[in-house]
Amino acid sequence: MPADKLNIRKLYALSSENRRFCFSQPLKHSIRIGKRDYEVKLKADDKYGTYILWKNRKYPVEIIRSRQNKYEILFNDISYTFTVETPFSLKRMKVLSSGKGKAEKEYLKAPMPGKIIDVLVREGASVLRGEPLVILEAMKMQNEIQSPVNGTVIKVSARANSNVMKDDVLVEIKIS
Amino acid sequence: MKIKRILIANRGEIAVRIMKTARRMKIETITVKTVLEPNAMYLAHSDIVFDNSEDASEIPVFLNIERLIEIALETKADAIHPGYGFLAENAYFAQKCIDNNITFIGPSPDAIYKMGNKTIARRIALAAGIPMASGSEGNIGNEEEAVTIAEKIGYPVIIKAASGGGGRGMRIVRKSEEMEKMFIIASKEAEKAFNDPSVFIEKYIENPKHIEFQILGDTKGNVIHLGERECSIQRKHQKLLEEAPSCALDDSLRETMGNIAVQISKAVNYSSAGTVEFLLDSDKNFYFMEMNTRIQVEHPVTEIITGIDLIEQQIRVANGESLKYRQSDIKLTGWAIECRINAEDVQAGFAPDPGRIEKLSLPSDPYVRVDTGVQSGSVIVPSYDSMIAKLIITGKDRKDAIRNCKMALDKVWIKGTKTTLPFFRMLVRNQKFQDGTFTTAFIEKDLDKFYLNSEYEEMLAAWLATKLFIEENYNETSINVDFENGKEMSPWLLNKRINQF
Repeated sequence: MPADKLNIRKLYALSSENRRFCFSQPLKHSIRIGKRDYEVKLKADDKYGTYILWKNRKYPVEIIRSRQNKYEILFNDISYTFTVETPFSLKRMKVLSSGKGKAEKEYLKAPMPGKIIDVLVREGASVLRGEPLVILEAMKMQNEIQSPVNGTVIKVSARANSNVMKDDVLVEIKIS
Repeated sequence: MKIKRILIANRGEIAVRIMKTARRMKIETITVKTVLEPNAMYLAHSDIVFDNSEDASEIPVFLNIERLIEIALETKADAIHPGYGFLAENAYFAQKCIDNNITFIGPSPDAIYKMGNKTIARRIALAAGIPMASGSEGNIGNEEEAVTIAEKIGYPVIIKAASGGGGRGMRIVRKSEEMEKMFIIASKEAEKAFNDPSVFIEKYIENPKHIEFQILGDTKGNVIHLGERECSIQRKHQKLLEEAPSCALDDSLRETMGNIAVQISKAVNYSSAGTVEFLLDSDKNFYFMEMNTRIQVEHPVTEIITGIDLIEQQIRVANGESLKYRQSDIKLTGWAIECRINAEDVQAGFAPDPGRIEKLSLPSDPYVRVDTGVQSGSVIVPSYDSMIAKLIITGKDRKDAIRNCKMALDKVWIKGTKTTLPFFRMLVRNQKFQDGTFTTAFIEKDLDKFYLNSEYEEMLAAWLATKLFIEENYNETSINVDFENGKEMSPWLLNKRINQF
């Protein structure tokens, strides 16, 4: 094991909305709220599956995805995405991001498997946040897939009457 | 009782619900096993299971009229209960049952046809002097006609499928530029969903409440109402939470609307259980929307406040009995709220999230009734609706019911799919919901967040992510999972296993 890893005393979990949670390494099995430490337990049994026990309450947890340092956690029916960073990688990230600015492209992905009923935009079209771009049918319902951002459509991959899997890119939008 | 054996032409929670009453009435039940859900819970509740899992037909059996009649004849069923959805509002199916000497548990084919076709229903309501939103006289032929009529009525308007229901084929149009596109979308959707592309146009009532009246009629011409249900908490015209009674109605408005609901039901000689839907605007003007000629998903809230088993009444009426209740016998007591716990992702705009229910634990307190068709290990399949369970919560009054609802929601434990639970946890704490001033626009307009998470929940999730990172990268030897049953598994491994199913 590389020596630098062993010397790491702190880890940061960054949420997709850029909230930062700092934990000591080795990880304590408690979380401090104000001046009190509250014990956190990760448990699993036949009746409940995996759960976290905190302040005498059980919260269902599930690991939905993990890739490198990126984790998607389902906690009490809500999913959260974090990247876990060391102080070094965090610093490097800051340097990189200050040079480049924010993401320029947004990928509109299929939120569920289904069939494309209609594509409502063409390449080059300017779209507003909330504007329906694609109609996707799944589980007997037609769902309007809306633009998450204001911008210009640079690529339309969705084709009417074709089937898509969850997370297939439907439309690429250049954020304005 | 002439009816001795009922074929349940449905699945899921409603099949289970119907069988509970049938068993109490000492009537035998038959369910149909399908290839999509060969291990479904409803099968275990019936006296006879007809195995149709080798049926290679393209049409699902619950929509296959010929096949269902065959099954009924083969199993010597003397009645068919259609439940809701599928063929519940198919006049042809009801007629086919009668033609084969099988009792259809529901209204007459004629009433189903008239109320099922929204343009005919509009004409009947108009003739009976029922208040309605202004609209097109019949179906709309093409986009140009749609634009002309909409101009006459005045925007915003709503396009609706003539054979519609459940929000499909419905589009709100606010400007004439949008009309052409929306007309085509609505018409296509209607054709796909109901085999009928015809649509009509109505004035769109802004921010109404959805109020519906439960109707009960017999074949002797008696019709009563069992009070109202408020179903304004909807998204994409699909109801999520219903309650009875509604805090928007006082006794006098209840009587007026109830009488009109009875009047329109009588206009089609309605028998069995049915629902007359109204929109109620902020000035307490109400408009007839449609009549549903079946048992509704949300029927339990009415059962709670009236003490009447609606399935039993459906069976008795189908058996030829007269209603034993008169309008004056109906008393509304207490408050009931139904939360539809669906396999949906509230963080992705309520997108369906089908999958296997790994763990399921539902509250059993006296103030909760649970109607469900699933158990641990059941699979929510993409071909059917996303319902997991209905929580029906009782209280002395609305405030009490909401308080009980909060407690009940925290006692539900579901693993395997995402659910609408976080939505309800947020909803019961929302001021506008508590005040009762919400409308059908509530989810779209009044909420910036569709779910509840307390401030520490994200931190705990971050803790878990960090823990996994350490386990994977720092090769920590102690696996910090406290397994009660002595199993040596990291949560990561456990999860992989779960994903393999």
